[in-house]
Amino acid sequence: MMPYYKFEYFGFDFSLVIAFIIGIGFGFALERGGFGNARILAGQFYFYNMRVLKVMFSAIVTAMLGLFYFAWIGWLDLSLVYIGDTYIIPQIIGGLILGIGFVIGGYCPGTSFVSASTGRYDGMIFILGIFFGIFLFGEAFPWIESFYNSTNMGRVTLPDFLGISYGMVVFLVVLMAVGAFALAGWGEKVMSKKTGRGVE
Amino acid sequence: MKCVFEKLTIAQRLAIVAILLGFIAFVIGNPTDKNKITVNAKELSLSAIQLKDRINTMTLADWLIKEQSDFTLVDLRSEKEFNEYNIPTSVNIPIEELLNSDLMRNQKIIVYGNDDITSAQAWFILKSANYKAVYILNGGLNAWKNEILFPKLDANANEEQKAEFEKVKQISLHFGGTPQIVSGTTTTSVVQQSQPASTPKIQAPVGVSKPAGKKKKEGC
Repeated sequence: MMPYYKFEYFGFDFSLVIAFIIGIGFGFALERGGFGNARILAGQFYFYNMRVLKVMFSAIVTAMLGLFYFAWIGWLDLSLVYIGDTYIIPQIIGGLILGIGFVIGGYCPGTSFVSASTGRYDGMIFILGIFFGIFLFGEAFPWIESFYNSTNMGRVTLPDFLGISYGMVVFLVVLMAVGAFALAGWGEKVMSKKTGRGVE
Repeated sequence: MKCVFEKLTIAQRLAIVAILLGFIAFVIGNPTDKNKITVNAKELSLSAIQLKDRINTMTLADWLIKEQSDFTLVDLRSEKEFNEYNIPTSVNIPIEELLNSDLMRNQKIIVYGNDDITSAQAWFILKSANYKAVYILNGGLNAWKNEILFPKLDANANEEQKAEFEKVKQISLHFGGTPQIVSGTTTTSVVQQSQPASTPKIQAPVGVSKPAGKKKKEGC
């Protein structure tokens, strides 16, 4: 039964090997999806290229349907899938900082490594920026620690929070994703006419 | 109908499949019911007959004195009983709350109630919910009281028994107990004290009512 690591089908060392293989696959998929290119990624924020939204929603819907049906069949124990605690305000602030960095630099942490490994200089500079940010955060941590740990809501999931069934959430998210796809396709056409920038 | 489907792009076909699966999920509702568990009866009965899932009070006392902390001691009794007395370091989780608690499946868990029955039931629930290492405190809290808190020595005991009792006495005093010597019908406390033997008053922080979550660092 999944998750295999939690049921001790293999130990910690071997889990690192598996993480490495999955990581390579993840990076490869990102690169093939065009996510090693800052222009495509940043295009999302100017609404002339909606590829990020499409890839994100495809990933969410695929993973969500997979988890739901695996749990339903009995292959997976959902209660063992790791979910981090929710610290609502620090996480909103952190999300905004990440988003601003995303717009400015054109990458998120994962895609910057993809970009750097394909030999792009902007990706490499971005990685330096990541480490600089980590260093700043570490040095400033004593001052922001109480904020960092504030508004802890514990382990919250949408079904628990909204008081509806898992299936209901799955259905709503699928509808949202399909709607977003349709909107994105329409928006790209409009924006490319307006700005003259083509959909890559 | 088939022609219509063939005219659609791959993205549109995938969207239709996703909506269908999403709708079925909506009908299914919740994929798993946490309170419903499947039991591997053979595996359970095999580990039950091996008696490996039991911990003696003396072993537990030894671990507690050495401040071994690789296990979680779970008190299954009611909160009221727990507040009156509990074995040091234990956490109070009533049996109906076991599967909703913060206990981890790879944790070493020792359960106890007043006797063996509640612990055995808890052991069964936890084991069938795939908790890996669940142990029963042999004899429960009653045994803990008899063997650790109020150990008794017969007045006519031989040297060997006396030497043995001396060890137990130290352990008992460590946990605030009252070792006793029994001669005929009268019971004398080894340690001079005026009041009759009673369970030691717990001082905070002997046990905490909420499990102190020793969470493993996970995630990205």
